Amino acid sequence: MILKKPKNIFVRGPVAASFIGASIQKHNTKTEIGGHSIFLGQVRADVIEEKKVVAIEYTAYEEMAMEQMHVIREEIFAKYQLSCMHIYHSLGKIAAGEICLFVFTSSPHRKAAIDACSEIVERIKTELPIWGKELFTDESHQWKVNK
Amino acid sequence: MQIKIIIFGQLCDLLGENLVLDNIADTDSLTAALHRKYPELVNTKYMIAVNKKLVVGNIILSNNNTVALMPAFSGG
Repeated sequence: MILKKPKNIFVRGPVAASFIGASIQKHNTKTEIGGHSIFLGQVRADVIEEKKVVAIEYTAYEEMAMEQMHVIREEIFAKYQLSCMHIYHSLGKIAAGEICLFVFTSSPHRKAAIDACSEIVERIKTELPIWGKELFTDESHQWKVNK
Repeated sequence: MQIKIIIFGQLCDLLGENLVLDNIADTDSLTAALHRKYPELVNTKYMIAVNKKLVVGNIILSNNNTVALMPAFSGG
């Protein structure tokens, strides 16, 4: 049963570098933290059969994704000694080179932050109902497959 | 009974974003009805969620259920 309301992890459009910078800055009062780990997912301009990906359009079953992310969040907090965890995933059209996923973990000692960050990224990719549609220069598309 | 279904990902290319099917009692009969109506689905991998929970096995459906059809996830 979910007691707390699941946090919204979705942002419309790309994650701005200035937002990431500001997020780091906000932690300067949390002096028990000794290490941060950050993962940034960037839209890659894959070339498939001579057609180049110009953007990925993300859609999600938002309510279900937020509930599932809440479960993941609780499990990660139970498993690792973390001070904080912040997750942002883009929705809508994200151009090649822009940031579409921002995972940020902090802990008193580095290993927990690094391991938790890595596990969260894997779980986001496999467990959250989010889909990426790769858009090509000629306006055709194909659906992204996670490796 | 009428079941409203929301569609996600590449399944939208095939089915559109919403679907309403009549005379559906459970998820097995939903799958059968979908495969009759959309033969292309037979060879497509997808999951069914009822009230935001992934279905394992067969589940009896009722009018107020939210049913979703979801292909493999590709976020991040």
